[in-house]
Amino acid sequence: MSAPNKSALLEVAGVSRRFGSVQALQDASLSVEQNSITALIGPNGSGKTTLFNVITGYLRADSGHIRFDGHDVTSAKPAMLYRHGLSRTFQQARVFADLTVAENLVVAGGFSVARLFGGRVDRHDRERVAELLGEFGLSHVADLYASELSYGQRKLLEFAAVLMSRPKLVMLDEPTAGVNPVLIETMERHIRALHDAGITFLIVEHDMNFVMRLCDPVVVLDQGQEIFAGPPDAVQTNPAVVDAYLGA
Amino acid sequence: MSTRRAIGPTRAVVFFGVLVALPAFGLAHWVINMLVFTLMFAVMSSAWNLLGGFAGYPSLGHVAFFGIGAYAEVLWFGHHGITSGYEPFLLLPLIGIGVALLGLPIAAIAMRTRADVFAIVTVTLLFVVQTLAFNLRGLTGGAQGASIAAAPFPAGYYEQPFYFVLLALLAVAMGLTWLTMRSKVGLSLAAVRADEDKAVGIGVRVQTVKLLAFCVSVGLTGMVGGIWAYYEGFIYPQFAVDPLITVAIVLMTFLGGRGTLWGPVVGAFILEMAQQYLAYSLGGSQLYLIGYALVFLVIILLMPRGILPSIQDRLRRRRRRRAVDTPFPATAREPALTGQGERT
Repeated sequence: MSAPNKSALLEVAGVSRRFGSVQALQDASLSVEQNSITALIGPNGSGKTTLFNVITGYLRADSGHIRFDGHDVTSAKPAMLYRHGLSRTFQQARVFADLTVAENLVVAGGFSVARLFGGRVDRHDRERVAELLGEFGLSHVADLYASELSYGQRKLLEFAAVLMSRPKLVMLDEPTAGVNPVLIETMERHIRALHDAGITFLIVEHDMNFVMRLCDPVVVLDQGQEIFAGPPDAVQTNPAVVDAYLGA
Repeated sequence: MSTRRAIGPTRAVVFFGVLVALPAFGLAHWVINMLVFTLMFAVMSSAWNLLGGFAGYPSLGHVAFFGIGAYAEVLWFGHHGITSGYEPFLLLPLIGIGVALLGLPIAAIAMRTRADVFAIVTVTLLFVVQTLAFNLRGLTGGAQGASIAAAPFPAGYYEQPFYFVLLALLAVAMGLTWLTMRSKVGLSLAAVRADEDKAVGIGVRVQTVKLLAFCVSVGLTGMVGGIWAYYEGFIYPQFAVDPLITVAIVLMTFLGGRGTLWGPVVGAFILEMAQQYLAYSLGGSQLYLIGYALVFLVIILLMPRGILPSIQDRLRRRRRRRAVDTPFPATAREPALTGQGERT
């Protein structure tokens, strides 16, 4: 699509991935600019989640290259990417049900092996944990088990937890799926605030209103390929995008 | 809060205090023999719990390491004269470390699989070690067995040194469990158990804590094997690497409660004592196994998560109900509610 851009934080170039006879990603390319809120949309089965998994190291790409923050990370492992500032959430909020809310944050802190033998929540953790809990309005449930939270609260918790590592890029997989309208607004507010603080976002989302309000640019994926990338107001009128969604 | 915090240490002091004092009451040999075996299983269940309970890796091959520990003890002392009788115990830490190191490459391979596949991989380990024990005749004596000089302890209190060494080892196993629970090791293991892929993606030191749990777990198990070999004096492959031992430690941990400090110990005391008692009262037939199975089935049916977690849940629910009830006159409502709680 676009020529390699110096300011791109994440650069996906010609990535393919096949599952048996299904070509989930076909020469997919994507570029996420520094401090942007990039949306990744597309019909069901267009390869959004596969692309997420390939970028974050959960799946290996069959071919193609991925660069993050100036480094080639095509075959990097998830843990390494996380420690270098690439965080993600999952479609179904994945939090640890039998850890407390505060512990869910601590465990995502990317601590060193030496600190394994320190307390579960020790003085090094308290400040950052308190800060994030306060920011996300979860202070009053800090000591509850994550299993006792509502689904929406779990989504917030997962979001808050991946910020523990002070990431440069946060990838959110459907942050508004299954949560109520009030929480969608909350989610939006958090994303804006973190964006203002310098964090870059790549968001997979089905809620088009949310995407239109928040994201720029919007990247559309169809059958494992990028078919459009541009400002939100141009998306809805683009014939290729309309085709993809209406299945013409 | 402070009183509740004091309960843990108090419980430990009382438990170990009673066990330390017990032999002074001149127990019959069969009773102290039963306690020796109970302690062996309590240590092994606690060790298994570190891996199966906290990390969520249900090993069915732990008895392989028990057997390795047993043969290590026999091989070391089989051809030596034992003077004071205590040297074989001094060897135990070495056996523990040796077995743990041996476990490291095994863990690195076996722990690439999870859950039921891991269980099957570890079962094969059991049979590999058993086959080796049968066939490496030059080393193990094969089916003929191998012997170690009988401990030169006076007949009057022959069992006691074994009893106290096992009690110390139980304290070590429980101490390590406690340290695990209150450290980030436990936190990381809980994440691994709940959702390992997610844990990997948020930078949890998954590989480190998995290997650590495996090695500590099998190291402790190997030490029990060493004590057992010395206690028996004569060991055979089918008893040193007996699948029933693996089954027993898994059942005990499930019964008492996986992932708790006291669960495996409670499970070991109930099941091993029930088994020994039933074997004793039902005679030499295998009938006792039916009674043993019944004890297990009844408890697991009533408390599927194990004894201690079920009790803890019940207490927590009651406490919460009481907290909700405070607007009402507490004295009027409480008895009715507690009564209800006991029935459910």
